[in-house]
Amino acid sequence: MEAHNRDLYLYKRLSTQVLGVSMDDPITLKHFSESLVLEFPIISNQLPWMGMAYGAYRDKPPFLPDGTPNWFGRRTVIVDKGGIIRYLKDGSPDNKEILNFLLNLEKEFRGKK
Amino acid sequence: MNQKVKFTGILGTAAVIAAMIGILAGCATFAEKPKPAMVPTERGMVVFLEKYEFKQPPAGWALMKNVEGGDFELGFLRMEKGDFPSQTTFMYDDLPYGGQRDLEKRAQYYCTRFLFNSGIDLRVTQREKMQIIGLDAVAISMEGENPNRKEKAKSKVYLAKKGNRIISFVCTQWRPLNGTYGQEAFDHFEAFVQSFKFLKKDFYETFEEELTKAGL
Repeated sequence: MEAHNRDLYLYKRLSTQVLGVSMDDPITLKHFSESLVLEFPIISNQLPWMGMAYGAYRDKPPFLPDGTPNWFGRRTVIVDKGGIIRYLKDGSPDNKEILNFLLNLEKEFRGKK
Repeated sequence: MNQKVKFTGILGTAAVIAAMIGILAGCATFAEKPKPAMVPTERGMVVFLEKYEFKQPPAGWALMKNVEGGDFELGFLRMEKGDFPSQTTFMYDDLPYGGQRDLEKRAQYYCTRFLFNSGIDLRVTQREKMQIIGLDAVAISMEGENPNRKEKAKSKVYLAKKGNRIISFVCTQWRPLNGTYGQEAFDHFEAFVQSFKFLKKDFYETFEEELTKAGL
């Protein structure tokens, strides 16, 4: 989250909006967002239809250290201006890869115009 | 007939294996030796991966380098006399905590995250604006203790504005609660910082140039 926050000025130049999605409740997310001074929105999706739609939801292991299922895996999704998913990656985001991907996407978009 | 076919097959396999061994042996003979991470220069400095030049600390300091992405670019570690955790680390970290691009705001936020997971109750003992290696910077000195784990830490951090981003140099000395801090390690850190040179544009500088070229 911090890494995305750091790169927001670059995302802006790439006409990209960052949106966080979590199964946590809005109050928890408000505190989380404030504690990290995040400058992009995080939405609460407690009934995880978004996680399911984007394939980030799972009802099987791996489990968290306390034994609870890790329902919402960490997944980065890039949706282009036409609403098409162009990038999917699990685990910690690779911000340099994401930035390069967005640059190519923007060039592709401008080429089509 | 069957035996003959089988025999030919074995010979064929042997030929393939021989060829593969030949190829592999060729690789071993002509492969370049991996370059050392640090190459000494005539000016008494070292060049790290052709990216940075700096004064290397003396023998006894182990190089820590980032191999798979993570929290810092490069650093040094020295295990010191005394009970655990007597050691000092210092490093160059190009992605310090926080996202603020304003130096003062970043410094304020940084102090809320730094050593957070260690349980050290950290306090800022000194904070001042200055210039290091030609960059606007904030120098922060911090100290704190964790009575539960019977350890304490003393840190010096430089946050510096480099282009549109903020980079950092960090030194932390760990001691048991009854241990004594030493200045010598911090002197090596200062020499490291004051001698630090960027030999190449970093990813972000290059990326921003690409954005400008693309009219973005």
